[in-house]
Formats: sequence, C-alpha cells, structure tokens
Amino acid sequence: MAKTVPLKRAIPDPPPPSITECQLVALDPTVFHHPIRRDILHLCINHYRDSLRQGSANTRTRGEVRGSGRKIRPQKGSGRARLGDAQSPMLRGGGVAFGPKPRDFSTKLPRKVIQMGMRVALSSKVLEQNLGVMKTMDWPNGKTKYLSHKISSLGLKNTLFITGEDEVPTMLQRAIRNIPLVGVTTSREVNIHELLKWPRVMLDAKAVDFFEQSLGKPYASVDDTPVQEAISRL
Amino acid sequence: MASTASRSRISLANLSPARGSLHKQKRVGRGQGSNHGGTAGRGHNGQKSRSGAGIKPGFEGGQTPITKLFPKRGFVNQNERVWAPVNLERIQHWINLGRLSCSPEKPITARELLFSGCVHDIHDGIKVLGDGAEFLTSQIYITPSRASKSAIRAIEDRGGQVVCKYYNPLALQDCVKGRTDRITAAPTRRQDIMWYSKFQNRGFLSPDLLKKLGDAPFVEERWKLLSQQLGKWRKQEFDVEKKKK
Repeated sequence: MAKTVPLKRAIPDPPPPSITECQLVALDPTVFHHPIRRDILHLCINHYRDSLRQGSANTRTRGEVRGSGRKIRPQKGSGRARLGDAQSPMLRGGGVAFGPKPRDFSTKLPRKVIQMGMRVALSSKVLEQNLGVMKTMDWPNGKTKYLSHKISSLGLKNTLFITGEDEVPTMLQRAIRNIPLVGVTTSREVNIHELLKWPRVMLDAKAVDFFEQSLGKPYASVDDTPVQEAISRL
Repeated sequence: MASTASRSRISLANLSPARGSLHKQKRVGRGQGSNHGGTAGRGHNGQKSRSGAGIKPGFEGGQTPITKLFPKRGFVNQNERVWAPVNLERIQHWINLGRLSCSPEKPITARELLFSGCVHDIHDGIKVLGDGAEFLTSQIYITPSRASKSAIRAIEDRGGQVVCKYYNPLALQDCVKGRTDRITAAPTRRQDIMWYSKFQNRGFLSPDLLKKLGDAPFVEERWKLLSQQLGKWRKQEFDVEKKKK
C-alpha cells in the first residue's frame, strides 16, 4: 500500500523569531506529559457543551392550547373520523404531541475525569509544541496597537494567554480585547474547551504553578519517560 | 500516544468517544429497518398494546393472586435484637495475623472487631461464641454485648476476661465512632437489668463480677454505682398485708 502524503497547510504560521536569550522550564510530567486520551477529552467537551445549552424550547400541549373542550362533531353519523376537542394533535391548530419543554440539559461528570481532561489537554499542547511559558503577563499602557505589534513580532497569533493571577490585569485586558485571534483568561477560569479550541497556548509562570498544584499527582502513574521541557520566551 | 507527524493537532474537530462506550438508543415505531417499526414491539391488539397504564403489578386477571392465597402469620417483634456472632477461633486467627490486639487497658470492643474486619456488621451488638475454643491460646480482654457460656469458660481458662456490657443503639454507635463525651445509658428494661446482673453471664452489673475484677483497668467507676442502684431489687420485698387475727 502506498504511503499517503500528509496534507500541508496553505498558509503556515510565521516561524518563531530566533531566540537569543531563553530559559528552560521544568514541567511536572504528571500534568504536562500525560498519555493522550481523546475519549476523555470527548467526554469533557460534551459535558461542557451540554452545560451551555439554554434548554428553553417550549411547545404547547393539547391541554395548553387555548380552546374549549366542546366535541367538534357528533360521535356517529357524520361519516368522518371521530373527534373530540379542537386542540388534539391530529388537527391543524392543535397542540404538539411530545414536543420539547424547557429542561436542563447539563450532565454530570466525575471531578477526576475533568481533572484528567485538563491534564490531557495541556499535555497535547506540549506534544504539539504549542505550549509556551512566560515569566509574567502584563502590559504597561492600555494601547491596543502597541500590544498587537508586539504579539505579531513574537509570532503569537492564534494564541490564548493564560495568566495565573486572580484577575487579568486591567491594562492587559483593555489592550488585548480587540485584537483578533488572540485571547486572554485566568488559570482558574480556563476550561478544556478553550484549551482545545485555541491552536496555541501561552502560560504564565504563576499559571504553571497553579496547574501543577491543582492537577499534579505525587507519583507518576503510567509513563516514566524523562520530563519534556518547554522553552520560555522573554 | 499519537505522534504529531501522522495527525494534525488535537482539536475540537477530531475527538471521538471510546469504542464501545456509546450505545444507540432504542427508538420504536420508526420504520421497518430498525426492527422495531410497525407495532413497536407490542404485538397485535390486546390490552397490553394500548396506551395508558397497564395492569397493576401482581394482578393475575382476577384469579386470587399468590400474595393473597396464603394467610398472614405472626407478628414482627420490634424489641427483637440480632447479635453479630464472632467465634473464638476467628478472634484467635485475627490476633495471630496481627489484625487484632488487646490488653487490659484496651479491651476488644465492637469498634476493633468492625474495623479489623473480624465482624462485617455490628447489628444490635456483638455476641462472642465458643466455636473453636481449643484454638484459643492468648489472653483476651473483651467487652461484648453478650457471650455464650462455653466462650466465657474458654476465655477465663486462658487467663483472659469477659465483661458483657449493655449497649443501646446510641451507645453502640458511640463505641464504634470512638466518642467518649457521652455517658452510655444504663439498661432500663427489667429483662436487661436481670440479665446483666447475673455472674453466670459475666454481666457488668453483677456484684460478684465487680468484686472479682477489683481494680482492673477496663472497669468503669460507673458500673459499681449502677450495680448498687439497679441491684436494689435483691433486698426489696413486696408489702404483704398482715392477716388480721
């Protein structure tokens, strides 16, 4: 069987700038080098998307459609089918049989499955070499154009910036919110859906600590291969 | 582990569930290809094919149902107590394995028996039975709710001590959970007071037993007081009307 040629992207991402000064970051392998489990990600994404559903579709049943209960035509003698009131689902203008009613579509997923999903998502980003670590994330003024220029020069489009602070710094928030294809969030609020949606992810040093604290295990469960290191950009 | 060379990045577009984890829902009445079309698994005509509630469970079409054929019998004794039995050979085996240990300061109670797995459920209390008494070799100090005569004999022959203590449900829970802030209640029923006052049962209210134990570490002060108070019946007499001559 002939080998299939892998598809190539039409417009490649800009190559990263030459890194003159960089530092190495040692990441916890139980968090960032977890075996990839697509089925766990599938479960987590379904759980997340279920929770987003509004569930407000509503229809009127035959009891809720406005109308009287008078029998439309006599039981016998008309030669046609027998009918009760005019709101029956058989008739035009009648109620809906078994139609949607407002309900809660959210599902439950064990907490530990969601935690494993986070580990798998972060590990997949490391595996694809789409995870970066920065020392701190802040911007001095709230000007979008300067930040946009800096991000383009770093080649960090299509990136989600995750900061480990409790809130995204105001100046950074203001400067970044209008830049297309760039997003920012805190490590507490980030979810697996966002991690998978964004092609590239940049973490704060604080965010790395947060993930390692909340997701790290005291022992490696399956793989004992040496830890993979991520290159941090200044 | 998927290598990046063979697949594009893991994104929302290429996730799938684990093979065999999802099962298709059975949807009846949706065409012949589903094998559940047409009559939707209900057969043809008859009461069971109609919509609405079916027959009451247990109804046999009018024939006297099996639940009504036979007469009711007896009553359920609300005061009945079920003792969790534990034989001497089991206790000895647990001690040999190191799962149970006892000393005069820390006698074996329901808590130790439950947590070591010697007994799986305490029910209304523990009763020590004498099966396998020949295998008992160590001195044990145990405070069960009840003990059989052969068990008492075997334990005391080896130099141990049994004291049967009264545990009401709350006291049993406190014993298991290790709560010592509450005082365990004294028996109130005449049967219980009589039973725990007898030396042959090694009941904790028996004056002979308390004298014999003296100042052993696991004897509580309260037992002596209760034994006095609850033992007054021994000296009491009914008021007998003197016959008038």
